[in-house]
Amino acid sequence: MRILIVEDEPDLLASLARALREEGYAVDTAADGEDGFFKAESYDYDAVVLDVMLPKLDGWEILRRVRKAKRTPVLMLTARDQTRDRVKGLDTGADDYLVKPFDLPELFARLRALIRRSADKTTNRIEIGEVLIDTAARHVLLRDKPVELTAREYALVEFLALHRGEVVTRTQFYEHLFDENESSLSNLLDVHVSNVRKKLGAEFITTRRGHGYCIEG
Amino acid sequence: MKIFNSIKWRLQIWYGLIFVIVLAGFGFTAYQLERGRLLGRIDNELHRRVGILANALRPPPPRDLNGNEQPFDRPPPGQFPDDGPPRHPPRPLLVFHLPPEDAHFFDPNEPNSFYYSIQDLHGKRNWHSDNNPNYDPKSLLAISVNDSLRLTYREIENLLPSDKEISVGCSIAPELKELRLTALKLAGFGGIVLIFGLAGGWWLVSRAIRPIEDISATAVKISAGDLSQRINIAEAGSELGQLAGVLNSTFARLEAAFAQQQQFTSDAAHELRTPVSVMLTQTQAALTRDRDAASYKQTVEACQRAAQRMRKLIESLLALARFDAGQEVLKRLRFDLRATIGECVELVKPLADEHGVKISVAGGSLEITGDSERLAQVVTNLLTNAIQYNRPEGEVRVKLEPQGGLAVLTVADTGQGIAAEDLPRVFERFYRADESRSSANNGLGLAISKAIVEAHGGTIEVSSAEGAATTFTVRLPV
Repeated sequence: MRILIVEDEPDLLASLARALREEGYAVDTAADGEDGFFKAESYDYDAVVLDVMLPKLDGWEILRRVRKAKRTPVLMLTARDQTRDRVKGLDTGADDYLVKPFDLPELFARLRALIRRSADKTTNRIEIGEVLIDTAARHVLLRDKPVELTAREYALVEFLALHRGEVVTRTQFYEHLFDENESSLSNLLDVHVSNVRKKLGAEFITTRRGHGYCIEG
Repeated sequence: MKIFNSIKWRLQIWYGLIFVIVLAGFGFTAYQLERGRLLGRIDNELHRRVGILANALRPPPPRDLNGNEQPFDRPPPGQFPDDGPPRHPPRPLLVFHLPPEDAHFFDPNEPNSFYYSIQDLHGKRNWHSDNNPNYDPKSLLAISVNDSLRLTYREIENLLPSDKEISVGCSIAPELKELRLTALKLAGFGGIVLIFGLAGGWWLVSRAIRPIEDISATAVKISAGDLSQRINIAEAGSELGQLAGVLNSTFARLEAAFAQQQQFTSDAAHELRTPVSVMLTQTQAALTRDRDAASYKQTVEACQRAAQRMRKLIESLLALARFDAGQEVLKRLRFDLRATIGECVELVKPLADEHGVKISVAGGSLEITGDSERLAQVVTNLLTNAIQYNRPEGEVRVKLEPQGGLAVLTVADTGQGIAAEDLPRVFERFYRADESRSSANNGLGLAISKAIVEAHGGTIEVSSAEGAATTFTVRLPV
């Protein structure tokens, strides 16, 4: 899951990015409106956390422009909690709205819900054969026993599970599981896939040579 | 009593009272005049009949040559049998007959007949017409007539020189009836006039009071919290229209002040939200798992920066609040403003170097009276702004010169300038040229500078050539 954070307060941006990375997300950051808009338009993020008050281009404007081309879920962050602002945000096409100061767990929960909704899933549990994935608790059970996965491995499993039956290409993996600082030429993905197969069974992930990976529906 | 507290009702009551008095006076006068007229007519008739009777009673002319006596001197036979022999002169009146030619004056068959009585005071004799209500027509004796009956008769008495008293009277019942009718008409007419008058008065009072009711209704809504209410002024020229105008402008100022206060509070809260968010996310993220010392240090440093920012904001807010309340006590000491400027330039030097901005100061030493610390705050603030909003490798030119009893300080930058429409707003609280916040600036600096300069009795102005330069000019009394 790859997320873009657009926030001009450096300390807030840094702590949000760190916390979301620790949650297993690939995180890109932008410190002003122009950069934020450029990134939001260039990649298919799984979610965007967008501050309203930004230099150069404000959050409303970014949202308006991004909405012309993309349906990326957007969570607006704002210091204004007046109903008028909330209505404006939701009307402009924001998917959710969070007023500063907020609690991190709430932000995480709302992001999970946004991503789940955009993948047309209504529950937190995905069952694939003997594997059960709980996206709220972010853990995986194999035959009712918890499986130890790293954050990145979990993200890979969840991403494949959310796109069950589809072939996920390497590009897609790199776009959604890794952030802008990681090179797509590395064999990191193959390492993660191999580790997941060791833990959940070799047949859990199918390789489509020349295309990518997939969990069979 | 609610009614007596209402101006409308009080006016109406007073007005109605005066109206009733005037109408009653008018009605009474009209009634009296009519009564006088009717009774005067009757009195004329009565006097005429007294004259006729008096004529009839006059001593007869001397006997004519035949020795014939006047017929009325001779009593009819059988009447007054115990009368003494007639005397001459004065001849006692034995019997009285109306001369036939005058009989019609006392015709008892007339609907409103007159009656008479003649009393001989010496002889205690009495003659009266049959229709005299004071006497029983059968017994010829005087009867007592009750008062209410007496009131419906009018009599006049006349004492003749011959000691005869004549009274003539008549029933005035028709006149009284007519008078009653007149009184009824007057009362009815007065009542109608009173009703119309009261209704008209009510209408007038209501019209006059309506603006007051509008004002009070509006004031009630405003005191209930809806400050956008205004009084609807129908007649701007009238006294109440003027009052409403004055109140409306007061309400407008009140609303503006209230909105400003609300905006200020909301802005202040908004300014606090960001550093609080930083502290919350930093600490919550740090506490999710065990971390190394460097990571904790990073978190603590971020929290410290957020706390510093909040401290600066709180100090600024408090300073503004003190200036607003007039509680800020300024020192009044002589000091060299040029030296203070030099210190401030030294203070902002690192920031200027960071932005690659050069600062030049022109002007010699200039002593003024004031609070050097507070004024240094103004200078530092202007310098910081000039550096932050400058272009890289730009310049800040500071100039101090005496001008007509004032110390004039100008701080000019070579930045992007400020748009003309934003110029009037730069001294507003929480106003920033670009909408985003930068942690170095909380948007209160210029507002505080303005408060400080004005507390010194000076002025601060800004002028800008868009895209080229912004110049702040501070004028302080020496």
